[in-house]
Amino acid sequence: MLDINKLNVSIEDSKILNDLNLSVKTGEVHAIMGPNGSGKSTIAHTLAGNPNYQVESGSIKFNEKNLLDMEPTERSLDGLFLAFQYPVEIPGVTNSSYLRQILNSHLKHQGKDPIDAAAFLKLLKEKSELLKIPMEMHSRFVNTGFSGGEKKKNEVLQMKLLEPKLIIMDETDSGLDVDALKITADAVNEMKSTNRSLIIVTHYLRLLEYIEPDYVHIFQNGQIIESGDSSLASRIDKEGYE
Amino acid sequence: MNKDHFTITIRDSEAFIENPSEVISISNASAFLKDKTLAIKVSPSEKFMQINLVVNHTKNIPVNFKIKLELLEGSKLILLDESHYNNDSDLEFITIMKKNSCFELYKINRYQNNNTNKFLHDCTLLENCSFKDYSFSNGSKENFSKTIVNLNDINASFLGSGISINDSTHTDNLLEIRHNSKSALSNCYFKTVAKGNSKVNFDGTIFVDNHCSKTTSNQVSKGLLIGDHSKINLVPKLEIYNDDVECSHGAASGQPDKNTLFYLTSRGISKKDAEEIYIEGFLSEFFDTIENLSMLSKAKNFISLNK
Repeated sequence: MLDINKLNVSIEDSKILNDLNLSVKTGEVHAIMGPNGSGKSTIAHTLAGNPNYQVESGSIKFNEKNLLDMEPTERSLDGLFLAFQYPVEIPGVTNSSYLRQILNSHLKHQGKDPIDAAAFLKLLKEKSELLKIPMEMHSRFVNTGFSGGEKKKNEVLQMKLLEPKLIIMDETDSGLDVDALKITADAVNEMKSTNRSLIIVTHYLRLLEYIEPDYVHIFQNGQIIESGDSSLASRIDKEGYE
Repeated sequence: MNKDHFTITIRDSEAFIENPSEVISISNASAFLKDKTLAIKVSPSEKFMQINLVVNHTKNIPVNFKIKLELLEGSKLILLDESHYNNDSDLEFITIMKKNSCFELYKINRYQNNNTNKFLHDCTLLENCSFKDYSFSNGSKENFSKTIVNLNDINASFLGSGISINDSTHTDNLLEIRHNSKSALSNCYFKTVAKGNSKVNFDGTIFVDNHCSKTTSNQVSKGLLIGDHSKINLVPKLEIYNDDVECSHGAASGQPDKNTLFYLTSRGISKKDAEEIYIEGFLSEFFDTIENLSMLSKAKNFISLNK
């Protein structure tokens, strides 16, 4: 599904990723761990096409397409989803209207009719219940005044509405209390399937105790310095990155 | 004909009142027309009376018209102007609000890019009067709007909310709020979007006279620049000659937040739609100041069509 080959990425002339190689097959769950500044978020944002990150060289193939030639919109419509570590606030736009708009963009791309208000409300209720999100939250402006936990749940809700092929979760566990972490992890686990892949970016073991990865990669200085199975995450948790 | 509701049509600088034989006997208002000036007097009432102003251009001549409004003690008026101005125009309102009267003015107007349009309003409020002034417009070649609010007696209050969406047009908005009495309140919000090579100026003055203690006045103006060739100039001015006041003002303009646009596009929304969502959000921030649901719907519709 995803092939990253010798990828070099900079932000404002500072090189972050160095000749990064990573391959993710359909149905696999990969975890990326590493200390602060190791390049974990950079790879997440580069995959989603954030223009603040400059790709100096290398290639990324996503379902046989050259991802670097695609705009962020196109990447999303083709099934790539980044759950942000810091979701932005959009004052003046209600969450429900925003969610319906993003869903309709995807339906249009799939050649389907837009979802009407009544059907959307039913779908929204159903998905919100799974995440224990009160419907009242959807009449508020997107992420505006949301708690850290509400913002993260809203990211997972969008993931569930759009049903992407490749999910990248950028430190979704930060800002979540124990109960919210379990609810979020359960919702993500429900989405695991043989035709969907996940990349979980995290500092800590705790999210990986709920969502078991097939592979764990340790990042340092913009490179993968070690890869292994889920036991690697437990070892890092005990011994640290040093 | 609903007696709490009538329409005035200004056609090529002549005014017509729907069903004029009934106008003179209308329960809550009387209207007189003389020398391109329409004088309207609104009588006391429990309910709001609504006048719809319709400006029609049937000939290729500019509209030039004056309306003198007098709200008698205890009267309540909504004046709605939803006209599309297809030619040059020069409109002037002079409003006198007597004790305990309420006035809500909604101007939701579209102008043409190649025209010159001018609107002047001088509104004087006496004791316990409330004036709410909502304006939604796009610009034109030269679009000039000036409102002077005279808060002349205690507990007079003004709420002004202006939205100007410009696409290669030029708009000058001047607002002068004059606190001429103690214990008066004013709140003003102005938001503008400038696309293409638009130029928008907002000049907001709050004047508080030396005897006007217990004054409260706030003014916020914000501009959103779309593209590299538009200009927004927001100038808030405070002239305060009394120490016992609470006054604030803030002005900010800039381009759409890149992180927000990336967030929206990363969810499958096109760049153009993301920008429109951003504009809609930016302009909708003050919607909670509009309590009248019918007018709120009209304002939302205007933004949706012009963003």
